[in-house]
Amino acid sequence: MALLETRNLSKSFGGLQAINEVSLKVEPNTVHGLIGPNGSGKSTFFNLLTGVYQPDAGSYIEFDGIDITDKPAHFIAEQGLSRTFQLLRLYGELSVLDNVMVGYHPHTKYSPLAPFFKGAEVRRQDAIVRDEMMELLEFIGLAEHAEIPAAELSGGQRRLLALGRAIATRPKLLLLDEPGAGLSPVNVDNLMATIMTLKERYNLTIVVVEHILKVVMNTCETVSVLDHGQKISEGTPEFVKNDPAVVEAYLGREMADEEIRAAMG
Amino acid sequence: MNVFVLIIEKIVAFGETLARKHRLLPWVLAYIALLPLPYILASLFSEYLINLANRACLFILLAVGLNIVKGFCGQVTVGHIGLYAIGAVTSAILALEPGSFGDTWGFGLSVWVAIPIAVLVTALAGVIVGLPSVRLEGAYLALATLGLGESVRIMIAVTPQLGSSTGLMMIPPPTIGSFVFESFTSYYYLVMTTAVIGIYFSFSILRSATGRAFQAIREDTIAASVNGINVVKYKLLAFVLSAVYAGLAGALFAHMPPGYLHHNNFTIIEMVTLLLMVVLGGIGNVWGGVIGAIVVTIAYDQTKDLVFYFMDRPIIIQPIVFGLSMVLLVLFMPRGIGGWIEGFQRNRRFIKQSEERLDGTA
Repeated sequence: MALLETRNLSKSFGGLQAINEVSLKVEPNTVHGLIGPNGSGKSTFFNLLTGVYQPDAGSYIEFDGIDITDKPAHFIAEQGLSRTFQLLRLYGELSVLDNVMVGYHPHTKYSPLAPFFKGAEVRRQDAIVRDEMMELLEFIGLAEHAEIPAAELSGGQRRLLALGRAIATRPKLLLLDEPGAGLSPVNVDNLMATIMTLKERYNLTIVVVEHILKVVMNTCETVSVLDHGQKISEGTPEFVKNDPAVVEAYLGREMADEEIRAAMG
Repeated sequence: MNVFVLIIEKIVAFGETLARKHRLLPWVLAYIALLPLPYILASLFSEYLINLANRACLFILLAVGLNIVKGFCGQVTVGHIGLYAIGAVTSAILALEPGSFGDTWGFGLSVWVAIPIAVLVTALAGVIVGLPSVRLEGAYLALATLGLGESVRIMIAVTPQLGSSTGLMMIPPPTIGSFVFESFTSYYYLVMTTAVIGIYFSFSILRSATGRAFQAIREDTIAASVNGINVVKYKLLAFVLSAVYAGLAGALFAHMPPGYLHHNNFTIIEMVTLLLMVVLGGIGNVWGGVIGAIVVTIAYDQTKDLVFYFMDRPIIIQPIVFGLSMVLLVLFMPRGIGGWIEGFQRNRRFIKQSEERLDGTA
């Protein structure tokens, strides 16, 4: 059974059809790539899945056997669907440790008013969470910066922290929105290696949006291609790479024709 | 300046040593240190300063409460003084004897019953003041809450049952057995204890998942919701918690000797004064807010009688001074006193880390 399934997922902003009847299945324990030219609706697709936007009528999203269409973002997060943002959206003034501790929020074991009535219980629980989160920071290599504000980290460290915060919610499915953006090729390779270790360690399913095709081709089992809000192709990386519809979407019809002509010799 | 920093450093280091022995030890010692204050003030200056200290304690409660919603959670509210008014008037009419003067309501309840009910009523009012925050942000939210806060004052001003223009008089002070909290000194112990407990709980909230959720909403609302935080619930909770502080401060203000309330205590000017405390203190910093409350209460008291004459008309200087200092603060010291404190703590941490590293190499 698919972990995530969308049926006829649509979203329009006024006259612009950002996502048009996309149906997609993500199988458990796979890495699923999502590619497409700029403005093809990849980020909107993520925003619909995580409840940041509400989809249009007729759409259906099912996650882990639960209907999450029209559900609020915090409910979806509680079900085990987590994401990173293209622009990271870290809590800049909070310390690195607090950033991941916010990520752990859905698993907090005391009520919001407990600090008034059960101070000892709150401190005990928080100490356990802090140890667990320090272990996570250790793993992604940010433990020594645990106390400094997130805004003071370097670009690469910030990408790692965004990843750590998404994993702190203990997700079943992790959506990564351009994890490698702005990194040098070597750093991208390192980051992808970290992501794959985290996948094994936390038993994750991953959907990744990425512009760096090498990353997609090397790590994904399945790749879906979006163009103008529609799914135009899906399959193994090898299949998608050679699909004329994909080539056309990226390079335009004329170029595609030329490529084909060149290929035919 | 160096001496000043050195003294603070010594105090902070001392506090940390104490906290290592027992978590509550610095709090207990600070409380004990505050106990003889009324006698010191009365013998060195005058009895009047004790009254000022009482008002400072009430404003500390208000500022600490406002800091929860504005500083921790990032919701700009200008209606806080309305909540203070609701707490004060509710507690007053609950404790007044029925039919004591004119049309004024009175329920003749014990003060110790009236205060908790007033706090509950204010907490409910806090939900109403908080509701606009579900859809509005920033300046728009400020305007909506400003309207709510001011409408509370106008409601009091036009309703004879709530005191209208004459105000509420002869509000009974709290009593324990035959002991009556009717002197400035005895009331000082009541409000000072409440203020210390209020500050303590404000830290308890800040250092829990609840406080982290508030701060996450302040830093990035969308990221917070995706991290599983119910944004609407936590925003309203922040408003309710700050309303509890405001209601408590209001109720204590109502029963404070001489037991007199007037709607002029709850004007926009008072709200601006309260905002000035939080801004001077540094938005989001609890100790900054406390220091801001003390400094502004004293400044307010010292400048309220200053008048100069322009073309034979008296002009009150205070609003000019306060308004101007607000503008200057936002321009040149946007992080307030709290910004200094945080910078200072950061330096200390950096020095400590460097020392540890040096120890490692030695």
